[in-house]
Amino acid sequence: MSELEASAGKPNLTPILDMVFQLITFFMLVINFKAASLDLNLRLPVVGSARPVDTRGQTSLLVLNVDQNGELKVYGRPQPVAQYIAREAHVELMAARMTSDDLAAGKELPTTVVIRADRATPFRYLNRVLQECQKNGFRRFALKAMNKEESS
Amino acid sequence: MSRRRRRHQSTEEVELNLAAMLDMAFQLLAFFILTFRPGPVEGQINLRLPPPVGITTEGTAKPGETLSTTEVPKGLNTLVVSVFANEGGRIASMGVGENRINTLPGLDTKLQQVFSDKATPFDQVIIQVGGRLRYDELMKVVEVCTRQTLPDGQKLAKLSFVEAPD
Repeated sequence: MSELEASAGKPNLTPILDMVFQLITFFMLVINFKAASLDLNLRLPVVGSARPVDTRGQTSLLVLNVDQNGELKVYGRPQPVAQYIAREAHVELMAARMTSDDLAAGKELPTTVVIRADRATPFRYLNRVLQECQKNGFRRFALKAMNKEESS
Repeated sequence: MSRRRRRHQSTEEVELNLAAMLDMAFQLLAFFILTFRPGPVEGQINLRLPPPVGITTEGTAKPGETLSTTEVPKGLNTLVVSVFANEGGRIASMGVGENRINTLPGLDTKLQQVFSDKATPFDQVIIQVGGRLRYDELMKVVEVCTRQTLPDGQKLAKLSFVEAPD
């Protein structure tokens, strides 16, 4: 920096720019777009033995949010249960056939259905979702719960 | 003339205008801070849910005829756990087979008794649930079931749900 600049009181912006870029890098790394598929208004049940998510290398997950009125919500939008699950099963079947040729319609799909239901949801609504999934070939399920009560 | 110009250029300093870049960086930072919403730490219970099948044998034998098959009927290796709900959707009572149970520790003890027997034929459980039962109550029963260990050392993961009339 020249003497003239220093005397003009021009601040050195380089360190602040460095710091801001570090912060941007941090937020870019921790941003999680998958969280958008979760309905955070649902109050999940608390189950002590619920384990943290372990996909074992499997990335194909179908997240279904079921509220206490039995409404299926995907990315915040209500969806008709039967049609939505049938459509997703068809998509998953097409995707699975790209890796394994002998997968016929109605056979077990490799996708895990992640059920996120409100703790007050009656079983009859949940069962409707489960049955539709089973009818369309889903067999692997993960029932979501909290390990401990959320502090509000 | 040209020599003079070259000398003049070499003394010039290239200066970046960092203020504009800093403005943009702050805009990006503001966006990431405002959209940052850490996801909740959730756990899960993994299950393998085959569709429920009838527990009676589809026999081809005629009355009076002896069954020649050596296959164990599916109903014989399936344990039925019933869960009845009260008006509020809470667990009113439970049953394992013919036995009536009122508490979750009681259910745990009963299932441990059943599965600790080396000769137990059961390797899967059908949970018969009242339609009113709340999801959090159901999860308590599922938790007790998935805690059980089969005689071969595997954890019980084959569960099916059937809706029982309220």
